[in-house]
Amino acid sequence: MESTIKINAEREGAYSVLKESFHNAPYKLTHYGSPRAQKHLEMIIMSASPGIMDGDMLTIDVNVKNDAHVKLFTQSFNKLHSMKNGAYQHTHMKLSAKSVLHYVPHPVTPFKDAIFYASNRIDMADDATLIWGDIISAGRIYMDEVFQFEKLHSRTEIFRNGRLILTDNQCLMPKVQPIQKLLFFESYTHQATFMYSGPWAKAMKAEFDEILSGEYEDIAFGFTYAAEDTLLLRALGTDGELLYSFLSMLGQMCWEFTLHEQSKREEVRNNEVDKAEREVSADVLVKESVTVKRRKVKKQPAA
Amino acid sequence: MNPLLTLLQINDSVFPIGSFTHSYGLETYIHKRIVHDVESTRNYAETMLKHSVYYNDAAFFSKAWEICSGKFSMRKLIALDTLVSSLKSPYEIREASRKLAIRLLKIVESFKSLRRCKAYLEAIQGGTAGGHYAIAFAMYAQQQQISYEDALSAFYYNTLNGIVTNCAKLVPISQTEGQKILFSLQDLIKDLVATQKDMDDAMLGNCCIAQDLRCMQHEKLYTRIYIS
Repeated sequence: MESTIKINAEREGAYSVLKESFHNAPYKLTHYGSPRAQKHLEMIIMSASPGIMDGDMLTIDVNVKNDAHVKLFTQSFNKLHSMKNGAYQHTHMKLSAKSVLHYVPHPVTPFKDAIFYASNRIDMADDATLIWGDIISAGRIYMDEVFQFEKLHSRTEIFRNGRLILTDNQCLMPKVQPIQKLLFFESYTHQATFMYSGPWAKAMKAEFDEILSGEYEDIAFGFTYAAEDTLLLRALGTDGELLYSFLSMLGQMCWEFTLHEQSKREEVRNNEVDKAEREVSADVLVKESVTVKRRKVKKQPAA
Repeated sequence: MNPLLTLLQINDSVFPIGSFTHSYGLETYIHKRIVHDVESTRNYAETMLKHSVYYNDAAFFSKAWEICSGKFSMRKLIALDTLVSSLKSPYEIREASRKLAIRLLKIVESFKSLRRCKAYLEAIQGGTAGGHYAIAFAMYAQQQQISYEDALSAFYYNTLNGIVTNCAKLVPISQTEGQKILFSLQDLIKDLVATQKDMDDAMLGNCCIAQDLRCMQHEKLYTRIYIS
């Protein structure tokens, strides 16, 4: 089945609002709670289908325009059913100047024999911010389907100002890779990737250095300055919910940090504009008084 | 010049480009006792070659060789360099590749100036290219009339030699056991070289998540002997 989800978000005054949007069966796109409960736009992608079936092709198109702030949620774990040919998902996100997008979907659970191809392309303006998450599980653990899927190939590319800055290419094929061993899952059952790309990635990395300085029992993780203005974190764990909460917590932290830094920058800019305007008007006043004085001098009769 | 001797020289583990200062995440594996004996060293080395190097540095080598063998295009080479930079996400791994490329290109420039190699070095220094060792190595080897099979085999061998040497120092394993691993993986290298050109392009730069994660964790290790 071919499906499409389209979202266009714009800034109107203090609010980010949904402009043209589109969805077709089995998907539904709706506001996550009351549309005006917060200044940013919160949308949720819901599905009437029990999961992704063989031959399904989903296109997600998100366009976040200048200054708009969007949080995009998913409803539940994305279940990939048994397949013979495979299912596809293409995601394209366009982030214009000073826009912010937060997208940390629920984990993907591939059933036995699932074949899934996901390609994600994110085109960002210089000062746009992306908060992105991606979690893959080994399968339905309690159904004895650990790493029983056929193939899961996900490719994510980030372009800033048209230049490729980050590519994440992950192809999992349990039948040909030592997937539970060294280099791959190392006895864990879930993997997660988190990206924060934008003007404050370096500053956020310094925050991560402080906050994430310890080690956890349930999650193994590492993070790095992966590309120009991009922070990347990878994690392995045994609990999808826990990794989802971990990534959501990091996402929220990055979201608040970005909005805070944006408003600080805006304030500095406003102050500079005010100062410049004051200087210009002061200049005009001085010039005017000088002209008046000169005129007065001219009017004086010669001695 | 003698192509065999040139290959032996640039592939020597003491060729002064600083390759011995990098472990590419192996130090984390040893620190966490995941690689801890001969068997786990062998496992690590074999999995690295088959599932990481094959789709990454060896594949980048092969792509660079292809560009250099046909009608050379600097634009294509820079595009490959940009793609490789975007795929090498752990900071230390990206920097290692860059530093090794710069040193290799500077040393070979001092032997005899080659236009392509000089242009790549200038692009790295000027900021239009990130700089990657696999690309620089392929470029120079191709210009020295070394055969593709020999150069790529040597490239794999050098990677494996680095792993074995680091394990001999850190795990530690005996030098003899290390040499046995090097010798026993010859057939694997032969197979990988033979199929390299047929590798599916969609797999280029395929990431092994735990390997990536261990490279990132290396940035935070309490004691570090290696730069990466």
